[in-house]
Amino acid sequence: MDLMQLSPHSRRAFLKRAGQLALSGTALPMAMNLAALGEAAAAGANDYKALVCVFLYGGNDYANTVVTYDEPSYAQYATVRGGAGEAGGGIAIARADLERTLLKPRTPLAGGRQYALHPSMTGLADLFNAGKAAVQFNVGPLVVPLTRDQYNCPDRKTYPLPPKLFSHNDQQSIWQSSSPEGSTVGWGGHLGDMAMASNQKSLFTCVSVTGNAVFLSGDAALQYQVSTGGAVRVRGATDGAVYGSAAVKNLLSSMISQPSSHMLENEYVRITQRAREAEVHITSALVESQSGPTGSPLATEFPAQNPLADQLKMVARLIKGRSVLGSKRQVFLVSLGGFDLHDNLIAQQPVLLGRVSDAMAAFYKATEEMGLSDSVTSFTASDFGRTLTSNGDGSDHGWGGHHVVVGGAVKGQAFYGAPPPVSVGNTGAAQDQWHVGQGRLLPSTSVDQYAATLARWFGVGAKDMHTILPNLRHFGDMAKRPDYPVNLGFLG
Amino acid sequence: MTEDAFDDSAAVDTAQANSPQWARHAALAGLSALLAACAAPGARYGRGAALQRPSQHYTDASTPEAAARFLLQAQFSASDAEIAAVQKQGYADWLAQQFDAPLGQTGWDWLNARGYGTIANDTRYFDHFYPGDYMIWNQLMASPDPVRKRLALALSEFFVVSLTGLDLAWRSHVMAHYWDTVVQHAVGNFRDLLEDVTLNPAMGHYLNTKGNQKENPATGRVPDENYAREVMQLFSIGLHQLNPDGTEKVNAAGARLETYVQNDVVQLARVFTGYDFDQRQNVVTPFDPEGKRKVGNTNFAKLRMSQTANRHSDLPVQFLGTSIPVNTPGPQALKLALDTLFNHPNVGPFFGRQMIQRLVTSNPSPAYVARVSAAFADNGAGVRGDLRAVFAAILLDDEARSPAGLQQAQFGRLREPMLRFVQWGRTFGATSAQGSWKIGDLSNPATQLGQSPLRPPSVFNFFRPGYVPPSTQMATTGAVAPEFQIVTESSVAGYLNFMQNVIRNGIYVNDPDLPNNVSNSKNPKNGYDIKASYTPELALATDAKALVARMNLLLCAGQLPAALQGQMVTALNATPLTAASPPDKRLDRVAAAVFLAMAAPQYLVQK
Repeated sequence: MDLMQLSPHSRRAFLKRAGQLALSGTALPMAMNLAALGEAAAAGANDYKALVCVFLYGGNDYANTVVTYDEPSYAQYATVRGGAGEAGGGIAIARADLERTLLKPRTPLAGGRQYALHPSMTGLADLFNAGKAAVQFNVGPLVVPLTRDQYNCPDRKTYPLPPKLFSHNDQQSIWQSSSPEGSTVGWGGHLGDMAMASNQKSLFTCVSVTGNAVFLSGDAALQYQVSTGGAVRVRGATDGAVYGSAAVKNLLSSMISQPSSHMLENEYVRITQRAREAEVHITSALVESQSGPTGSPLATEFPAQNPLADQLKMVARLIKGRSVLGSKRQVFLVSLGGFDLHDNLIAQQPVLLGRVSDAMAAFYKATEEMGLSDSVTSFTASDFGRTLTSNGDGSDHGWGGHHVVVGGAVKGQAFYGAPPPVSVGNTGAAQDQWHVGQGRLLPSTSVDQYAATLARWFGVGAKDMHTILPNLRHFGDMAKRPDYPVNLGFLG
Repeated sequence: MTEDAFDDSAAVDTAQANSPQWARHAALAGLSALLAACAAPGARYGRGAALQRPSQHYTDASTPEAAARFLLQAQFSASDAEIAAVQKQGYADWLAQQFDAPLGQTGWDWLNARGYGTIANDTRYFDHFYPGDYMIWNQLMASPDPVRKRLALALSEFFVVSLTGLDLAWRSHVMAHYWDTVVQHAVGNFRDLLEDVTLNPAMGHYLNTKGNQKENPATGRVPDENYAREVMQLFSIGLHQLNPDGTEKVNAAGARLETYVQNDVVQLARVFTGYDFDQRQNVVTPFDPEGKRKVGNTNFAKLRMSQTANRHSDLPVQFLGTSIPVNTPGPQALKLALDTLFNHPNVGPFFGRQMIQRLVTSNPSPAYVARVSAAFADNGAGVRGDLRAVFAAILLDDEARSPAGLQQAQFGRLREPMLRFVQWGRTFGATSAQGSWKIGDLSNPATQLGQSPLRPPSVFNFFRPGYVPPSTQMATTGAVAPEFQIVTESSVAGYLNFMQNVIRNGIYVNDPDLPNNVSNSKNPKNGYDIKASYTPELALATDAKALVARMNLLLCAGQLPAALQGQMVTALNATPLTAASPPDKRLDRVAAAVFLAMAAPQYLVQK
């Protein structure tokens, strides 16, 4: 069984690259488009949809993010994690600290299971309880559905594993692109491939406000990177003169955009060209929509000293400038690092998760302010979950983890997927079947299912879905696995 | 240098030949008798022969451009004198001389000389990152042993510890000693480096060996796996079994073969238990006026982590085919584990290929990697892991030296932004007027370099060796371009804007006469403390053609196209400059020449 189907990518890549333009909308030669776009044209200026991926680099500790709360489960959790806080000497969170962030789903979970978010995540807990956010349990990369026995079975032909489990860089890449490091096409980029044609300036289809990541690169769609301060202008090529010389300025301006026969030089030049052309549009969009005579600044306040909030604020500002840019379908990537907490989990995770919660809550509020809360969906992703066991004052690399989806279109105040048993046992008992040792969760939902649910809302049709998510064919009704549905149901 | 060349030019500096380090080196190479017989005065240093391999055909720099090209791979910059020396001595001999050169001042000693070891309530240097940044920029910009420092910087991108992740007391000292450790072993042996890195307090903090304890069945605690995983994945063998030429081994079905599985990590983790900072020399000092807050001294930062037997796991360890028996004491277990990693056949190609990428080209041929692997396996005298042999094999290889590379559309590597900046400083004689070298973290891509030494965002470095920039010709042809991982629409503009100011004005520094930074300082010395001297360039300024030729040689090793040089001359001459022109106009012209050269795509990609 193949891990990946490379052929469709390669074929389309071959078809499109020669004619790729920087900014103008060029549809793919193949008939791939977003299903909703026909009506979209009629719907006019207010037709807009955006997906925002919030990537938590380092592998977020799932067990202290969506924390088991009902008394029997909590007791097991506290025992495995060696007690609560510094007093307990372990890495569990005290149960009393979880009351404020207790999640109150419309339909209670079976077996009396209850969960709270980390105590620092008040913003997201409030959004959950207000019906604007949902939790998806135990998501991680899978090639095929697996039980623990199948995971341990040496027959890798029948039970293939995602490559390089537990390795940061590779699992980041697999979450973003279904392939390990070195991959060049991500599913956010594939969504961009299909959305490009609907945007006047196709370059602004896939926008990163963090660094480079494979997530936003498609076959045709490029990742466009913008800083938290907006697009950066090349002063030397645009001011009147360099060190008093217009001639030097003119030469600089032409030479940095001059194509080269050397491959690396030429690609650097292409990025420079793109940066310069895009900067003009981004800057004018931000000015016109927010500080020009007809624009107005966003009123929503974003928290300070929060790098994720800085990024999400730029996303909100770009969305506000969407009509100037002619954008109707966009995919954004923002990120926060530091989650690889082998040590100091109790001390450091609150700061990080507080930033995630504050930033995502502020961003949701900004979409409400713009009247777009139903049109913008943000979701978390991370390298992997971590162990449930403690290594003293932290946890080690794992596999599945819990994630949060936020937006007006989210069928919120609900949990999706199966709550995993709290267990680190290695017996044949039922409660030991959903981890692969030390509480490393065996995912009960694949990243492809998670992505497919988001992509469906974004407008991707059933047929195209399998092209952009190569492992999806092993899940859902088509694979006779209705227990692993391709639509998880958390979006309307 | 060929063997013939050795015969008529070899010379030995007898004083250095008596040093134990050299004696050992020569003995290893089996050359001591020969060298003793050849101890005669001469132009050449005479020790390059041990580094030269029969497969290498480009032994001498036939042109200044060829010499500059070599210098820009082997160190940060090229000067007139260094170009002349390389031309005179040949590549191998010049390189051997640099390997033997005495170490410059350590980062640790620089910090203490600047007063950063002082404990005071107002400065609290133990809590600050900035002394660490100033330390490393000073080391890179001003140290007298640039080859060693250049190699150490490359090694710091393989054995990664980031200052950004060192949130502990005396973080700058901890970082400085880590850097000094890498510098010390940069032309030593990989095995020694691997062990010193493993037991270094910076690495102990960064990847959690510090405080790592054995399993506790009562509480369910298990050993921390972080170092066990990363020492295999990143610092020695990598994820896939490799052939000596760096290509991946495959099984009958064509699938790649993993080097280890999770159980290897779980078991190896036991080896790294029982370690903590060695605080036996610690003395605690109260530092606030009430005497309530205390800080220890810096000694722990300079000592290998200590091993506490009853915190070390007694369990047996099975990993990568090695068995470490039950109850093996910690130090012995460590030796067995590191020997296993060091002797794994992957290390030569895995490490060697990445060092080639750092110094010469992103996509070396398998044959090039194989030659470097062979040098790792055996330096010619039966020694494995000799880094002199490895770096010499990289820098003297025909693939690095042959002019053919200059004609290939794929050869070379994107210069790292931090290397461009250091090259500027060293080429044009940058100094800190007050000696404080206050250059901070330059990691912001929108306003600075988007890269700062010893500041990668994670243990995976600034970029990955296998990074393929999406939607590029590299992706189409299957080429990698690691440095492109930090190239974005923001960074390309940020770099140009940053350099435009730095080249003309220098680095603006607050309180350049103080080691610390005073908030809202009205210090009259605030200003551009770190500036290039441009002495030879200012003297040439009225001759635009000569000025551009100099940029082409020193910055670009002669790789700027003739047409572009012509355009640069024309652009410079558009603002007339005579011997009577005021100094600032002269500086404008020099700065314009430097800026144009450093903006050129043909400069940005080092070939």
